[in-house]
Amino acid sequence: MIGRVAGALVAVVTLALPAVLADSALAVYILLGLAAMVTVGVSLLMGYAGQVSLGQGAFYAIGAYTAALLALHGVPPVIGLVAAPVAAAGFALVIGVPLLRLRGHHLAFATLAMQLILLSLAGQLEFTGGDIGLQAIPQFSAGSFEAGSALAYAYLTWAGLALVMLVTRNVIRSRPGRALRALATSETAAASSGIPVGRYKLVVFALSAAFAGLAGGIYCFYTGYVAPGSFPVLISIQYIVMAVVGGLGTIWGAVAGAAAITLLVQGLNSLAALPGMPSYAPGVLSYAVYALVLVLVVLFLPRGLLPAVTGRLRRDRPPVETR
Amino acid sequence: MIGVRDLVVSYGTATALDHVTLTVEAGEMVALLGPNGAGKSTLANTLAGLLTPASGTVEIGGRLALIPEGRQLFPDMSVADNLALGGWRSGERDPSYAYDLLPRLAELSRRRAGVLSGGEQQMVAFGRALMSRPAVLVVDELSLGLAPNVTADLAGHLAGLNRERGLTVLLIEQNARLAFDLCRRAYVLESGRVVTEGECAELAGDPRVAGAYLGGAIT
Amino acid sequence: MSAFLTYLLNGLAVGCAIALIAGGLVVIHRVTGVVNFAQGTFAVVAGLCVSSLLGLGLPHGVSEVAAVLVAALAGLLTGLAAVGRRGTTPLSSLIVTLGVGVLAYAVEIVLWGDQPRSAPGLAGAVTLAGARIQTQHLLVIGVTAAVFALLALFFGRTYLGKALTACASNPYAARVVGIDTRLMGLLAFALGGLLGGIAGVLVTPLRPISFDTDVTLIVNAFAAAVFGALTRPVVTLAGALLLGVAETMAAGYGYGSHQLEVALGLMIVVMIVQAGRRPAISQEQT
Repeated sequence: MIGRVAGALVAVVTLALPAVLADSALAVYILLGLAAMVTVGVSLLMGYAGQVSLGQGAFYAIGAYTAALLALHGVPPVIGLVAAPVAAAGFALVIGVPLLRLRGHHLAFATLAMQLILLSLAGQLEFTGGDIGLQAIPQFSAGSFEAGSALAYAYLTWAGLALVMLVTRNVIRSRPGRALRALATSETAAASSGIPVGRYKLVVFALSAAFAGLAGGIYCFYTGYVAPGSFPVLISIQYIVMAVVGGLGTIWGAVAGAAAITLLVQGLNSLAALPGMPSYAPGVLSYAVYALVLVLVVLFLPRGLLPAVTGRLRRDRPPVETR
Repeated sequence: MIGVRDLVVSYGTATALDHVTLTVEAGEMVALLGPNGAGKSTLANTLAGLLTPASGTVEIGGRLALIPEGRQLFPDMSVADNLALGGWRSGERDPSYAYDLLPRLAELSRRRAGVLSGGEQQMVAFGRALMSRPAVLVVDELSLGLAPNVTADLAGHLAGLNRERGLTVLLIEQNARLAFDLCRRAYVLESGRVVTEGECAELAGDPRVAGAYLGGAIT
Repeated sequence: MSAFLTYLLNGLAVGCAIALIAGGLVVIHRVTGVVNFAQGTFAVVAGLCVSSLLGLGLPHGVSEVAAVLVAALAGLLTGLAAVGRRGTTPLSSLIVTLGVGVLAYAVEIVLWGDQPRSAPGLAGAVTLAGARIQTQHLLVIGVTAAVFALLALFFGRTYLGKALTACASNPYAARVVGIDTRLMGLLAFALGGLLGGIAGVLVTPLRPISFDTDVTLIVNAFAAAVFGALTRPVVTLAGALLLGVAETMAAGYGYGSHQLEVALGLMIVVMIVQAGRRPAISQEQT
C-alpha cells in the first residue's frame, strides 16, 4: 500500500518535473531515464536469470542504429521507434540460443565479445556510416506531433520508462516470473522442478535487449546522431554498476541505481568542469566513481543500496551465513 | 586431548550441532557413532578448524590432523606429492616419514592418487594425515566403502599408533562393530545432539544402540 | 616465402604476449575459480611504467624489472579486493575485477594521460632465411619460452607450486592439510600480475599501449585460455600462438580489418562447443 502511494507520488513528481527544468537539466533527465530503462533489463537478467551481460550496450546500439536507419530512409519515426526494441529483441533471440548455453564468466565474455564485434562491424560497414556514424536523423514525430524540444523527449523517455517498468512488473508477478526466481539461485534445481529453464532465460534475455533497444531508439532521435563511439564497452559496465547499486531483481532499485549513478557522475562532471581542473578530470572522476561504487557495493552491500536501506527501515536483518 | 563444551554449529538457520559436549583424553581412542546427517562430519570439520562455531568452546591439545570423509585426496597428483603436502603444517616434506609408518605407501609413491583403489586411497589419506606429525587424529569414516580385510588392515595400523605412540584418536564410524572393537568409550550423536555415551561394553548391551548400529543383538 | 616467415614470427611474438596474459588468467582461475577481468590491466600498467622509467633515464633491465614488480603488486591488490573477503562468489569476484580494471583507468589517466605511449626495446633486426625479423620479436619469443618453462618447474617441482596446484585440485583437501587457500589465492593473483607485467614490458616496444588497450588484451587472452578450458596452461599456450599467428597472417595478407571479429567469433564458438560437452551441474559452481 505504502509502496503503491510512493510509486504514484514518484510518477506524478517526475511527470511534473520536466516543465520546470532548464534545458541542461532536461538532458540529464533524459539520459537518466534512458539509462534506467536499460538497467531495469540488466537487473532482471542478473537478478532473475542469474546471468551477467557485459554486452547490453550492443542492444542499445542496435536499437539506435535501427531507428536511425529507418528514419533516414523515410520510414515514419514511430515505426522506427517500435522497430528498435523489436530488432534488439530479435537479435537477442537469435544469438541467445547458442550464447545462453554459456554461464557465468563465459557468458559475460561472450556478450562482451558480441558488443566488440558489432561495434567493429558498425565502424567498417558502409550502410552504418563507418566510424563517422549516422547523422542528421530527423526529429521524432507521430502524426501531426513533432518532438522539436528537449521537453518532448523528456516526456517520451518518461513514457518509455513507465512502459518498461510496467512490463517488468507484470513479468515478475506472472506465474513464470515466480518460477524465474528459482532460476537465479539454482538452475539445476529449477530444471529438476520442471521449469523450462532455457526458454525462460531466452525470454528474459530478449526482454532485457528490447528495453535497451527502446532506449537506444529514443536516444538516436534525441541526439540526432549515432556512431560506434556512442556505445563504448564502458557503457555496458555502467549499466551493471547501476543494477548492482540498486539491488538486483528489483524494478525500483534499478531506477534508483540509474538515478544515483547518473546524478553522481553529472555532479562530478560539473565539478570537473570548474576552472583550474585538469582536462582529463571528467573522465577520471567518472571512471573512479563507477569502479569504487561497483567494488564497494558488491563486497559490502551485495543486496544493493535500495534493499539495504529499506531493509534497515523495516529492521529485518539479513540472515547470518556460516560457511 | 580433545575437549568440546556446549558446541553449537549452524549453517544459516539450520543447526547442525546442538550443545555438544565431548572429551577424548590424551592417548585415548574414542568412537563417535551416529546415522547419516547426525552432524558427525560437521563436528570433524569444526575440530579441524574449517568451520566456525556459533557458540561453545573447542580445545585441542597439540596438533590435530583430519582424515576427511571420502578421503579427499588431490586426485591428479602423485601419492608422494599428496603425502608431502600433508606435511604443510609440520614442515615434514619427505614422504619417507609416512613410508616408515605405513610401508605399503612406498610401493604406491609414484602412482596418481586418483587412480588408486578405495583402500589404497584411504591408506594415502591416513599417511597424509600422519605427515603433519599430529598429537590428535580425527578419522571420519575409516571403513566406508572398503572391504573387511582392508578395513582390518587400516584399523590395525590405527590401533598400533594409538598404543605405541600415544596418538589420541577420535574415530567417527557408522560401523559400530569396528568402533567397539577398537575403542573403550563411545559417543552416539543423533540430530546434532549427543544422545548416549559410555563404555563400549555397556553400549553394546544397550538394546537401542545394538538395534540401531549393530543390526540386532550381538552374537 | 620470406614474407610468410616474417608474418609467422611476428605472429608468434604476438601470440606469446597473449599467452603470458592468458597464463595469468589460467593460474588465477585454477587456484581461485575467479576469471580476472583486470588481467589485461596488469600488462598496461607495466607497459606504461616501463615507458616512464626509461624516460626518466633508468637503464634497461632495471626499468623492466621494476615495471613487472609494479604489475605484480597491482595483481596482489586486485586479489585482495576480489578474493580477500570470505564468501565472495566467483561471479561477484569477476565483477570486482571488472571494477578494479575501470579504477585502473582513472589512475592510469592521471599518471600517464590518455594518449598511447611506447618504449624503446631491443633495436635492430636479424635476417633469417631471407626474412627480416625484429630483434624485439625474438626477445619476446625467447622470454615467453623461458617463463613457461619456469612456470612448469615451479608448479611441478617446488613445494609452494604444489600447494598452489593442490588448491586447484581439491580446495577442501587443501584446507584440511592446513593450506591457507585465501593466501594462495592472493599469491596466484600476484603471479598473474607478474605474468601480465612481463607481457606488457615485452609488447610496449612493439605496439604503443594506452590505458584502454586492456580490453583487446583481455579478450584475446580469454579467447586463448578458453581453448584450454581456463585450466590447462599448455593448451592455452597453443591457443594463444594460434590466435597470434592467425591474426598476424590475416593482417599481413590484407584481411586485417576483420581480425578481431574472427578471433572473438572463434572464441564464442569454442566456448559453446565446450559448454555442450559439460554437464550443467559442474558448471554451476563457476
